[in-house]
Amino acid sequence: MPGPITVFSARKIITMDAAVDEATHVAVRDGIIIEVGDLDDCAAWGPYTLDKRFDDGVLMPGFIESHAHLLEGLLWAKAEYAGPVDRRDPSGRLRKGINNVPDLVRRLKEIEATLEDGARPLVAWGIDPSLNDPIAPITRHDLDKVSSTRPIFLLHASCHIAYVNSATLTLANYAAVTAPGVQRDPSGEPTGELDELAAMMAAIKAVAADLVGGSTDPAQFYNFARVAQARGVTTIVDGGSGTYFEPAFLEAALAATAAEDFPARIVAHHNGITVPTAEAMIRFAAALEGKGNDKLSFQGLKIVLDGSNQGFTGRLRPPGYLASGANGLWNRGPEELRTLVPALHNAGLQIVAHCNADQAAELFIEAVAVAQAARPRFDHRHFIVHGQLLDESLMRRMAALGIHVTLFSNHLYYWGEFHRAHTFGAFRAGAMNPAATALRLGLVAAAHSDTPVSPVDPLLTLWCAANRVTASGRVLGPRERVGVHDALRMMTFNAAWLLHRDHEVGSIRVGKRADFAALAQDPLAIDPMALRDIEVLGTVVGGRVFGARA
Amino acid sequence: MTRLPVTVVGGYLGAGKTTLLNRLLADTQGRRLAVLVNDFGAVNIDAGLIANRDGETISLVNGCVCCSIGDNLGMTLYDLAERPDGPEHIVIEASGVADPARIAAYAGCHPSLGLDAIVVMADATTIRERARDKYVGDVVRQQLAAADLVLLSRTDLIDVAESHRVRDWIMAEVPGARVQDAPAMGRLAQILLVGTKAAEIDPSPGAHDSLFSSWHVGSALPLDGAALRSMLDALPPAVLRAKGIVQLAEAPGRRFVLQLVGRRWSLEPEPHREKLALVSRSEIVVIGLAGQLDPEAMQALFAPVLAACLSPAVEALLRSETRP
Ligand SMILES: [Zn+2]
Repeated sequence: MPGPITVFSARKIITMDAAVDEATHVAVRDGIIIEVGDLDDCAAWGPYTLDKRFDDGVLMPGFIESHAHLLEGLLWAKAEYAGPVDRRDPSGRLRKGINNVPDLVRRLKEIEATLEDGARPLVAWGIDPSLNDPIAPITRHDLDKVSSTRPIFLLHASCHIAYVNSATLTLANYAAVTAPGVQRDPSGEPTGELDELAAMMAAIKAVAADLVGGSTDPAQFYNFARVAQARGVTTIVDGGSGTYFEPAFLEAALAATAAEDFPARIVAHHNGITVPTAEAMIRFAAALEGKGNDKLSFQGLKIVLDGSNQGFTGRLRPPGYLASGANGLWNRGPEELRTLVPALHNAGLQIVAHCNADQAAELFIEAVAVAQAARPRFDHRHFIVHGQLLDESLMRRMAALGIHVTLFSNHLYYWGEFHRAHTFGAFRAGAMNPAATALRLGLVAAAHSDTPVSPVDPLLTLWCAANRVTASGRVLGPRERVGVHDALRMMTFNAAWLLHRDHEVGSIRVGKRADFAALAQDPLAIDPMALRDIEVLGTVVGGRVFGARA
Repeated sequence: MTRLPVTVVGGYLGAGKTTLLNRLLADTQGRRLAVLVNDFGAVNIDAGLIANRDGETISLVNGCVCCSIGDNLGMTLYDLAERPDGPEHIVIEASGVADPARIAAYAGCHPSLGLDAIVVMADATTIRERARDKYVGDVVRQQLAAADLVLLSRTDLIDVAESHRVRDWIMAEVPGARVQDAPAMGRLAQILLVGTKAAEIDPSPGAHDSLFSSWHVGSALPLDGAALRSMLDALPPAVLRAKGIVQLAEAPGRRFVLQLVGRRWSLEPEPHREKLALVSRSEIVVIGLAGQLDPEAMQALFAPVLAACLSPAVEALLRSETRP
């Protein structure tokens, strides 16, 4: 027995469908789109309830965040946000960025005053002094002004650095910790800055243990989805080292996402990061087959080839990093890749490969070429995550082998100036995240935030791809700017295709799921520089409305 | 407090790291070892040695454990350091593409841990070619540069001249590198363990088996710290390990612990006194492979360390007291 029909009306519906561009009404039954057109077209299906709450808005297919990490949800659950970048919290409130140390100290004092238990550590995340004005180090002396007794632990946005106060240094016995990442002043005293996990470990164990070690807190799933939902996302990837193969974690994930009011769909990649061998990866992936629910599914197996460019650990082709000529770190080496990639390919898995810089991408492409030569597969949809330094030659090889990409366009805005001055230099900074060339060559390209690295906000991400403007207003590589329609497609249909979900989501088309984003303005009718400021009125997931008044 | 020593074994894929680890597990010199590996599959632990297998940890009948590192080396090490009946020595296998220096940073992640040495295996038959590879050349060179001790494997597959060329190449790449042939691996493996316990500062030559020769110097008077430091930098490659408890003229009334493996050495104030027979003396033991330490050369090297504070007569007395 089919359920009742709801018709959503809008000032304009941008379908992102290849054949039919626009409409004003969409009819939904049992979570599925049954008609797209005007009200009369929808009425042809019989009695309906007209939902006019988005009457003044513009409906789009719900945005799809093609690379993000569940960790953001855990950070909101366990720590306070105190970073330099504006972020929306799970309640939808905008947290303005804190851009200098005195303001940071002020904010931490406010938080400190709300903590009743005197022994409870104050843990905050999202810190990045390189985006502060002025750029100044954060020391224990700054943090001791907040409290000399309560342990304080601030996690850098990269998660590779922590800043702690004297109370934490004492509690964790840093006098005896010899890790070289413990920064010390000329007298040998720790400054409070701890670089890399080896140096952070003692502090994490002493004051922030719940940030590591596979929490099953249901809040992490809800927070993760909710923050994304607030900016129009209806499907978000958990592209990390999730341990869904562990029964307790899977159970927590299934329970959280099965709730009626869970606000977005999660597509989780299989873990090829912390699992050591191809055999184990294939076994874990197979064990999760069919284990999902309506809002949690498993697709693609994530492997990591290199590090991060802003951390100088991406693998570059010559001449390497600006000035130093240094190169980054391999996560898995060439010999391993040349057997791992074919093994996963032959097992029928979709490989999602973190390749931040161009040498990592080159190696992955080479490994897929080996796999394809031995055993060709069509429509495997292997794709590269980040691909920040892809060039035309690499992308033509990708096109030939069927490898696609989700680009890290947000880097252009947040770290564009940093890359120009410190990592890549002028030319490569201008050529970063080449979305226009990718699309021209026929790659199915999307873009992503990699939250918590940068905030989940598809409108900001597509603004980056369309404008390529740095935080200080410089346009990096104007030829690689994409048109707004293409940018919208990157964050909808293309992302759905990469996730093997384009038959279900990614456009507003009869037969697909009723997943929409309702926007206050028409992105195709405004100045592209205003895209990121578009207000999100709410979302619809499977016909159910989220984040908007009735 | 004596730190729990951590040894990092690095080197590119196929260089022989696993063979070395297996040798260690087969003869632990009476220590409870914890060996941390990337993948159990690669270490072929003799089934007869396995007492119990529990997820990421294999317990052996000789009291050792073998742990898979999983996704968090820091966590694994930290937990080992916190165990009440924990290991006496930890050996970490770095992945084939890892920078062993980065892995070695983890040896300082817990207040009671301390890095003992970074040992890097190099396959004599392929190392130079690897060092030219566009993907991993820099990685291989970085690994060699991080090594306190380079162990050349498969030298039995090449002739002597080629083996010399490989050594010369490594010495040119990494000035000051300490390179040893690993076909003697059964012996070399033990040098990683021998001498990491403070109580083993034992001047008697019979303290180590016939595979090693040791050389000892003792002094009732404080040593010249500056001369000692420059001497430590100038030790011949034959010296694999040295250890000692010394008094320095520059810091009267304090004692310092000397640890040396290959080209890594540290001279740190003794945290608190440990039980020792020779309380007020300076004692240094130098260990090398049997037949490789030249006692006369060693005496010549140590002379300035002693001479600065001793009269010729006392020096002569002391010389007569030192033994090969
Ligand atoms: Zn990521």
